[in-house]
Amino acid sequence: MKRQASKIEYRPGGSSKWLTRGLLMGLATLMLIPVIVTFLYSFFSPEEIKAFMQTRGSFDADKWMEVKLSPMLFSLTQYYEILIRDTSILRMFVNSAFYTVMILLGQAAVIPMMAYGLSRFRFRGRDAIFFVIIMLMLLPFQVTMVPNVLTLRSIGLLNTVWAVILPMWFAPFYIFLIRQFMLGLPNELLEAAQVDGAGTFRCYWHIVLPVCRPIIGAAVALSFADCWNLVEQPMTYLSQKMELQPLSVMFNQLAASSSGIEFAGAAIYMLPALFIYLYFLKDILAGVQLTELK
Amino acid sequence: MFTKKKSVWLFLMPGGLGLMLFYIVPFIGGIWYSLTDGSYRNAFVGLKNYIDIWQNPMYLLGLKNTMLLSLICAPLVWVLSFAIASLLNRLRPQGAFFRNSVLLPYLMPSSAMLLIWLVAFDYGGVVNRLWVALGFGRVMWLQGAALRAPIILLFVWKNLGFAVIIFLAALQAIPEPLYDFARLEGAGFFRQTFGITLPMIVPTAFLVIILEWINAFKIFKEVYFIGGAYPDEAVYTLQNYMNNMYGKLNYQNVTTAAYSFALIVFMLFGALFLTQRQLLKRLT
Repeated sequence: MKRQASKIEYRPGGSSKWLTRGLLMGLATLMLIPVIVTFLYSFFSPEEIKAFMQTRGSFDADKWMEVKLSPMLFSLTQYYEILIRDTSILRMFVNSAFYTVMILLGQAAVIPMMAYGLSRFRFRGRDAIFFVIIMLMLLPFQVTMVPNVLTLRSIGLLNTVWAVILPMWFAPFYIFLIRQFMLGLPNELLEAAQVDGAGTFRCYWHIVLPVCRPIIGAAVALSFADCWNLVEQPMTYLSQKMELQPLSVMFNQLAASSSGIEFAGAAIYMLPALFIYLYFLKDILAGVQLTELK
Repeated sequence: MFTKKKSVWLFLMPGGLGLMLFYIVPFIGGIWYSLTDGSYRNAFVGLKNYIDIWQNPMYLLGLKNTMLLSLICAPLVWVLSFAIASLLNRLRPQGAFFRNSVLLPYLMPSSAMLLIWLVAFDYGGVVNRLWVALGFGRVMWLQGAALRAPIILLFVWKNLGFAVIIFLAALQAIPEPLYDFARLEGAGFFRQTFGITLPMIVPTAFLVIILEWINAFKIFKEVYFIGGAYPDEAVYTLQNYMNNMYGKLNYQNVTTAAYSFALIVFMLFGALFLTQRQLLKRLT
């Protein structure tokens, strides 16, 4: 029956479309629930959360944790606690923001330029350089942390904020991503500017960068997601500096020493990510669609 | 395309210098490191460190768990994301809400998610309620080998969206007339899938499995979030081993472990690359 339907219609559809829709609805719910519930729990009073979290870890076969969806009393106390009374969580939040901003600024200066050099120029050794970048991209953090540590140690930057920031400026994945996009730009675009006498730098600044807006937006968003979720780098490079740790490393301790305010911490930590997501959503979709990613 | 422009080196210089300084030069220098004994004389010991590490039970345990987790995570994300992208593609041009909600977790910090995970996977939590409702017995998800389930789910939850977006873009790039023609010839859904869709997306599928595998190899965050800094043996990953050795300032051991793993990674991706080439040759 499906076969006949597809013969008549332009694309297979009809009743199976509702099945598709149902499946996707279930999936979307699963994806969104953890985010929504975290926000919901941030409006519980700290006492209620504390009591709730203490019911965890009981292995009594007859006992269940409550499924809590709405607070007994809508309260902003959690936010008051972390934003005004005890700012230790806020300080780690500021650490996270500092790392993220510094990493993104450095990447913005270095990576598009490198991608431009590797895509719009023809010179000897170009393919070799690109090959090395691909190889570096394949290496997981467990491997690249070794060369990073060797350098950071010999120039004395270990256990300073730069240990987290500097190596991230040269992330090979984003060089790859932006280069692939720039490769696809039509030649006429730059030829016209060259006829008018624009040099390589003018071409980069006035033509290539503006045209690359979607992929650069996508790269910013993806890189932000990485930076905002930093764990391995601060844990190893800053292992002796607890006060420099970003919030992403500390949720573990927050959960262990449940003081009833951890959900507000999680909620304010998700807010910037949410804004970035909403702002760059179109760029991510367009960037991925327009890039020759093979 | 610019040719014979010296200014290209100006564009490459900042990035190139950084890559040299932080990655390439120390990477090569580290090879020497892995061949010495790390004492104050720093004597050359040949491959002894490598032989030792392959007999180190903790390294092997970390390697085994990292391999196991990545061998589950990467294919799982791969298959699921293709299935979801196909579903989304059928709804085109609608379905933007579904697509956007699948992508949302990719931008969310999974660190903030761990609270919900701990609550949901508790012995008395929601997951066990569902599990019992489905007719199974209650499971201690946060202990022992069962820990893998919440860890894998957190990884999949976060990484699914981006893979879906890549697959969706590839599916939309397949020219519609190809399907019309196939339908005229009387090809059904399965013939269309195997005859047109799959061959057309082989390069994309290859890219996605590589990206997901790169991601899955460095799996540690999820373990750290759910299992803590000193997790159960069943989820002790390579990164745990590295952190441990690094904490003990045993740089020789860290370097050797890293390079052994790099070798494995390169061999795996090399094999994958050759497979893709063969596959493309046979399909076209």
